[in-house]
Amino acid sequence: MTHSIGDKLSGFKREITQERVNSYAEASGDHNPIHLDAAYAASTQFGTRIAHGMLSLALVTEMLAIDFPKTWHSGGNLKVRFSAPVISGETVKIYGEITDITKTNLGLIATCSIGCKKPDGTNAVVGQATVPLE
Amino acid sequence: MTISSDTVNLYTKAIGGGESPDYGDSQAPLILVAVALTKLIDELGLFSGGLQTIHAGQEVSWTRPVKIGEKIYARGKLSGNSVRGNNRFVTVKVSYNDETRTKVGSSSSTIIVNTEHS
Repeated sequence: MTHSIGDKLSGFKREITQERVNSYAEASGDHNPIHLDAAYAASTQFGTRIAHGMLSLALVTEMLAIDFPKTWHSGGNLKVRFSAPVISGETVKIYGEITDITKTNLGLIATCSIGCKKPDGTNAVVGQATVPLE
Repeated sequence: MTISSDTVNLYTKAIGGGESPDYGDSQAPLILVAVALTKLIDELGLFSGGLQTIHAGQEVSWTRPVKIGEKIYARGKLSGNSVRGNNRFVTVKVSYNDETRTKVGSSSSTIIVNTEHS
């Protein structure tokens, strides 16, 4: 597959249901009550249960795995910040774009802006990834 | 640590959608990062005593796919620990190596602990 600067990554929307959050807690072992316990979460600064930041990031990496199936897991890097919480029940938009392609001694490396937006358009996760191209 | 097929199935249930890629007999690297981070943060006591923690930032690098059930050694270190206002910023760096001690990945996680509740 040929990649060019300015190419949009596949992206997708997905609802972050409480069921997904519960499954993620089981998979990761992260049972922080801010994700699981409605009464506890109501007492926090967020006032309600929020999804694990890593769950949102996992969706972003799924997009990278779709767009770069042979190389994301073999030389991929990412750096993100979690800028807003995703509330249980929200539908998020996963997005990305190739912003640069650099020739290195290891081959071509694509730099991508990546992120996860909340329904109101604010970024829940935002950052950058670099991925070797085939 | 070893990620079992049961854990992978739970992870897929949490993340997956109709367009999700088939990883075959490998696992998404982020499962390893998530499980290692949970264990390390637990060891640091950041989930105990009602502490309010927020995951603020994450870096991940991966060298090769890891197979489901493959044994991986995750070695973490506290690389940052500072206080600003009512928040403590903790950075945990983890190196992931296979049974031959070959590095397969690394991660760096920044966690904010609200010290008002500690």
